[in-house]
Amino acid sequence: MNTESRPREPAAGGGARDPGPAADGPAGPGPSARRPHARLRRLGRHLLLSEYFVLYLSILYMLALGPFLPQLFAAQNLADMVSNIWPLLVVAIGQNFVLITAGIDLSQTSNMALTSVIGAVLIVTSCDPVLFSKCPLWGTFLTEHGGPLAGMALGVPIAILIMLVIGSLIGWVNGVAVARFKMPAFMVTLTTMMFFSAVAIYLPKSENIQNLPHAFNVLGKGRIGPVPIPLLVGAGVAVGAHLLLSRTLFGRRLYAVGTNPVASTISGIPTARIITRAYVLAGFCAALASVLYSARLEMGRPTLARTQFIDIVGANVIAGVSLSGGKGKITWTLFGVIFFVLLANTLNLLDLPFYSIDIVKGLVIFGAAFLDVLRTRAAAQGH
Amino acid sequence: MHASMEGRGPSMEAPEGAAFQFLGVTKSFFGVPVLREVSLSLRPGSVLGLVGENGAGKSTLMNVMGGVLRPDGGRMLLGGTPYQPQEPGDARAAGIGFIHQELNLFTNLSVAENMFIESFPTLRRTPAIDKRRMAERTREHLAQIGLDISPGALVETLSPGERQLVEIAKVLAMQPRIFIFDEPTTSLTAKETGLLFEVIRRLRTRRASIIYISHILGHVAELADEVAVLRNGELVATGPTAEYPVPRMISCMVGRDLKSIFPPKASAPQEEVLLRVEKLSQPGIVRDVDLTVHKGEIVGLFGLMGSGRTELARMIFGVDRYERGTVRVGNGLLPRGDPRAAIERGMAFVTENRREEGLLMNVSIADNIGLVALPEFARAVTGHLRRRRLQEATAQKAQELHIKATSYEAQPAKSLSGGNQQKVVLAKWLLAAPRILLVDEPTRGIDVGAKYDVYTIIGELARRGSGVLYISSELEELLAVADRILVMNRGELVGQFERSEFAEERVMRAAFRQGDEVRP
Amino acid sequence: MKVMGSRASRGILRNTTFVLFVLVFVVFGMLARNFLTLGNLQVILSNSSYIGIITVGMTFVLLVGGIDLSVGSIMYLSAVATSLVVNDLELSPWLGVVACLGVGLAFGALNAFAVTRLGIVPFIATLVTMIAGRGLGLLVTQSVQLDFPDSITLLATVRLGGVQLNILIYALVVAAAALFLAYTSWGRRLYAVGNDPEAARKAGLKVPRLIGSTYVLSGVCAALGGFVSIAQIGRVPAGFGRNNEFDAIAAAVLGGVSLFGGVGTVFPGALLGTVMIRVIQAGLVARNIDIYIQPIIMGAIIFFAVLLDALRNLQLKKLGRRNIMKMET
Repeated sequence: MNTESRPREPAAGGGARDPGPAADGPAGPGPSARRPHARLRRLGRHLLLSEYFVLYLSILYMLALGPFLPQLFAAQNLADMVSNIWPLLVVAIGQNFVLITAGIDLSQTSNMALTSVIGAVLIVTSCDPVLFSKCPLWGTFLTEHGGPLAGMALGVPIAILIMLVIGSLIGWVNGVAVARFKMPAFMVTLTTMMFFSAVAIYLPKSENIQNLPHAFNVLGKGRIGPVPIPLLVGAGVAVGAHLLLSRTLFGRRLYAVGTNPVASTISGIPTARIITRAYVLAGFCAALASVLYSARLEMGRPTLARTQFIDIVGANVIAGVSLSGGKGKITWTLFGVIFFVLLANTLNLLDLPFYSIDIVKGLVIFGAAFLDVLRTRAAAQGH
Repeated sequence: MHASMEGRGPSMEAPEGAAFQFLGVTKSFFGVPVLREVSLSLRPGSVLGLVGENGAGKSTLMNVMGGVLRPDGGRMLLGGTPYQPQEPGDARAAGIGFIHQELNLFTNLSVAENMFIESFPTLRRTPAIDKRRMAERTREHLAQIGLDISPGALVETLSPGERQLVEIAKVLAMQPRIFIFDEPTTSLTAKETGLLFEVIRRLRTRRASIIYISHILGHVAELADEVAVLRNGELVATGPTAEYPVPRMISCMVGRDLKSIFPPKASAPQEEVLLRVEKLSQPGIVRDVDLTVHKGEIVGLFGLMGSGRTELARMIFGVDRYERGTVRVGNGLLPRGDPRAAIERGMAFVTENRREEGLLMNVSIADNIGLVALPEFARAVTGHLRRRRLQEATAQKAQELHIKATSYEAQPAKSLSGGNQQKVVLAKWLLAAPRILLVDEPTRGIDVGAKYDVYTIIGELARRGSGVLYISSELEELLAVADRILVMNRGELVGQFERSEFAEERVMRAAFRQGDEVRP
Repeated sequence: MKVMGSRASRGILRNTTFVLFVLVFVVFGMLARNFLTLGNLQVILSNSSYIGIITVGMTFVLLVGGIDLSVGSIMYLSAVATSLVVNDLELSPWLGVVACLGVGLAFGALNAFAVTRLGIVPFIATLVTMIAGRGLGLLVTQSVQLDFPDSITLLATVRLGGVQLNILIYALVVAAAALFLAYTSWGRRLYAVGNDPEAARKAGLKVPRLIGSTYVLSGVCAALGGFVSIAQIGRVPAGFGRNNEFDAIAAAVLGGVSLFGGVGTVFPGALLGTVMIRVIQAGLVARNIDIYIQPIIMGAIIFFAVLLDALRNLQLKKLGRRNIMKMET
C-alpha cells in the first residue's frame, strides 16, 4: 500500500542553501550549466541576485571612478558624503515600513516641510515684520520677538516633540485612509502631499524662517564627543528599526500583512492596525529627518525636501525593497541610501547640471525595477 | 490500490467513429501522478458523465482536453485525427467548448458584449460595433437556453444563475461539436437547472458530444448515457448509465479499502458544549442556522457546493459578517466580524483555500507555523520575541505533524507539496492550542497518505478534548471521521445524523432535498 | 424589494460624479454671483482644454488599471521638440505639430514597452519617464525658457463659428475618445481588461497590446495638450507641465474614473471632472480667496473624491458579495 506520504524534494532549490533571494534560484543543472561560461554566469547571477548587490555596486562604482575623480576621496568630501547619509536614511527607513505593507507614502516630503515650518515657528527667536507681517500666524503665534516657545528653558525639546507628534499624525491620517477605507495608498498620499505642502507654504507665506536658537541648530552639525549628532540619530533609528522589524511581534506581523493580507487577517493579525502603524512610523521618521535637515539649514523651510521623493523611494527600490510588499530590510535601505548619496556626490563632483543627475537617477531606478522583475521571474522559474 | 476495472464499456475497445479519444494520457504535478494512463472515448450524440472525488483527476483531464494543460504522456484523437492543443484557443478552434466551473465574465460589460468579446460584429467597412446585430444575435443565443434577459443588461446586475447561463450561452454561440460542462449547476436554481438539461438534451439530438462533470450524482444518472469514474487519476470504471445506479457510482469513486484510507476513530463526544450557534442568518446566504459542537466531538457539515457551508464557517469565525443570530463560545458571546476575538477564545479556522487564505507562500515554514501563536512568544511591553523558544516550538510542531522539509527555517511554504502545505496550516493553528477547530475541506487536492495524516491529526485533537466542525463535500470522509453529520442545503440546515444513523443514501437524500430534483 | 434597493444604491454609487458636479455648480453659483455667465463658462472651458485633453489620455490608462505619471514631462519634451523644429530649424508650424505628436507617441511607446514587455509596474516605469524625461528636456534647453513665434500663438486666436480652436480640439478629442470607447472592439476590450485581466487573457484578448495602446495614446494626448497650451501662452518655462500629471489624475478620478480599473467614461465622466476642477478654481479666484489657500482647498476636495471612489468600491463589493448566493424568495 503506497499510502505513506512521500518526502518530496522541494521543487525549488531553497532549503539547503543560504537564505535570501539567491536561494530561490533553480537548483540542479539549469540550462546555463551546459554553456561554456557557466560558472562565470552563475557568479554574475549570484551577485546580481544577492541582497548585497547594491553594496558591491557602490564599492565598485567608487573604485572605478576614483582615478578620474581624486576629489572623491578627499577628507572633506567623504565627511560631506557621510553627513548626507543620515537624514536621508531616517526618512527612507520610514518609507521602508510602508513599502513592506505594499503601500507607498508620497507625503513624506510635505510632512518634512510642514514640520520644519511648525518647529521653526515655535522656537524662532526673532522675525522680520517686513517678511512675516502678511502671514496668517502674525500677531498670534509669531511676533517680532519670535515664536511662543522662544527663550523658554525646554523650548527646543518641546518644539521637537510637537514636530514628531504632528509628523506622526499626518502618517496616521494616511494610514487610516489606506487601512480602514481601503483607499489606494498612492492617491491618498498624493493628495495629502499636495494638501500639507500647500499648508506648509501658506503658514509662512513661502518665507524661510531663520534665526533659530543655537540649541536647535546644534542638532544639525554638532558633535557629542567625536561623534556627529545626526550620525547618532541615524544609527539609533536604523538599529531601532532593525530590531523592530526582525525581533518583535510587530515586525513579523508587518511582513505577514505585506505578504498576504487575507491570510494575515484570518490568522488573527490586526491588519488595519499594523498598516496604520507603518504609516505612523513613516510620518514619525519624516518629522525626525525634518529636525535634522532644518537644524542643518538653520531654518524652517516651507519647500524642504520638495524633490526628495525620488531619493527616498529610489534608495529603497534599488536596494531590493519590493513595491509589491513583504520584502525589505533596514540594511538594504542603508545600502540604497549610501548608493544614492554616492551617486549624487559623484555627479556633483563631475559638475553635471541637476537635470543630468535626474536622468542618471531615473535610469538607475529603472534598472533596479527591471532587476526586481528578473529576480521575481528567476524565483518563479524555480517552481 | 488495485481496484478492478469494472465493466469496461464497449466504447473503450470500439473507438470506431468516436468523437474524441484519450489514449493512455498521463500527467503529474511535482512528481505526483494525477492522471495514470487514462483511455476513454466519447461517442457523437451522447452524454458522458464523468464522476470522481475531489482530486481524482477530473479537472486535470478536462484541462488537458481543453488545452489548458499539456499531458506528460499519451495521445488524444479528435474525430480520429491526432489532437495536440497548445493553448485554450486551439481547443476552441478545434470545436471544443469548455464551460468552466468559475465564471469568466466581465461584470462591467453588457451580456451581449460578453458574448462577443472575442470577435465583435462590426458595421461594414468601419471599426464600429454593430450593436443592433450584436443584440439580435445575443437574443437568439439567450433564447436557445430560455434565458429572458436584455442583451444590454450589465452582467453585474445579473444573479449568479443568470451569469452561469450567460457563460453557457457564450460557449453555445461558438457552435462547438464537443462540450465540457464542469459543475455547471452549482449556482443554478432548480428551474434554471431544468433549462440547462433541456439544452443538453437538444445538443445531444444534434449529434454533439457532451462531457458532463458533477458531484451531483443524481443529475449524472438522469442525463448521461454513459458513466466514467475516476479515482486517484485512474479510470476505474466506464459503462452505460443503466448499469451504474448512484450507489454503484459511489462505491467505484471511493474504492473498497476504506479501512486503509481512514484511521480508526479515537475520539468520543462529551457533555460540555464548546460552541453554540443560534439563528445565524445573512440574507441570501444562510438562514436560521442552529448548531452545537461538544467537547471531544467532530461534527461533520455536509453540503453541496453553494449550499452555504463555507460561508457559515466564515461567519462563525468572524471573517464575514452576518445580520442576525449569535455565536457563543462556552458561555461567552462572540462579537461579529472579529477573527481575533474568535482566536482569543480558542477558535481556529483552516480555510478551504490554503494558498490564498492559509499560507504566506514566500515565507518560511517556521514563520508560517508561528503566525497565530506569535503573541504568546512576545514580551509584554516591548513586543520583543523570544526567538529561541519560538523556533523550538515551531520545529517541534512541524516534527509532530511529520512535515517533510529540509529546513523549517529557510524553506518557503510554496516549495512544499499540497499535503505538507496543509499540515503547515494545521500546525499553525495547533500551536495556539485551539479548543474549537473549524476545518473546511482540509483534504482537498492532497494525496491519500497526507489525507490519512490529516485525519489522524484532527482525530487526535478531538481525543484531547477539542471540538471540531468539519466541513467536507466528500461524504465518505465525514462518515469515517465524524461523530455527527449536519446537512446543509441552500443556506439552511436540513438534516442531522448521529453516528448510529450514518448511511450514505440518507445523508445524500437530505443534501439534495426534493426541491432540487429536476423533474423533466 | 432587496434587489431593487441594491440596484438603486448601485445607481447612486455609479453616478457620484453627477451629484458632485451639480453640487459644485450650485455652491459656487451661490458663493460668487455673476459667476455662471455664458462668457465665463467659455473661459472655463477654454482653460480646461489643455488639461482636459491630457485627462482623456489618462482616463484610458486608468481604465486598464494603470497610471501614467509621465504626462507632464512628455508635455515638456514635445514642446521642446516643437521649439527645435519651429525656432531652430525655422520650419513650418505644421511640422512642429508633427514633431510634437511624434515625441509624445515615442515616449508613450517607451512607457508601453516598459510596462507590457519588461513587466515593470506602471508606477515606477512612468515615474522614471517623468524624472529622466524632464532631465532630458532640460539637457536640451539648458533650462532656458522657450518662446514661440506668432505662427504658433496665432493658432490660439483662430475661431471657427465663434468657438475658439482649442475648445474645438478638446471637443473633438473627447468625442473621438468617447466614440472609440463605446463603439469599437478596442474600447470595449479595454473595459474588459480593466475589469479582469486574467479573464481577458483566458478569453484570448491580446492584453499586453491593449494595455500598451493606452500608454501610447496617453503620450500623444499629453503632447497635444501641451501644444494647445503652448499656443495659448506662447512660451515654455523649464517647469512646463510639472504636476500636470496629478491634475489629470485628479480630474479623471473626480469624473468617476476608478483607480481600480474598468470603471469610468471620457464623456461625460472625465470631461465633467476636468471642468469641475476648473469651476472650483475659477470660483476660488472669483471669491478672491488667498492664492495660498486655494491649493489647500483643492487638495481637500480631491482627497474627498478619492475617498468617495474607495467607499463606492467597498460598497459595490459588498453588494456583489451578497449576490454571490441567491435564494428563491
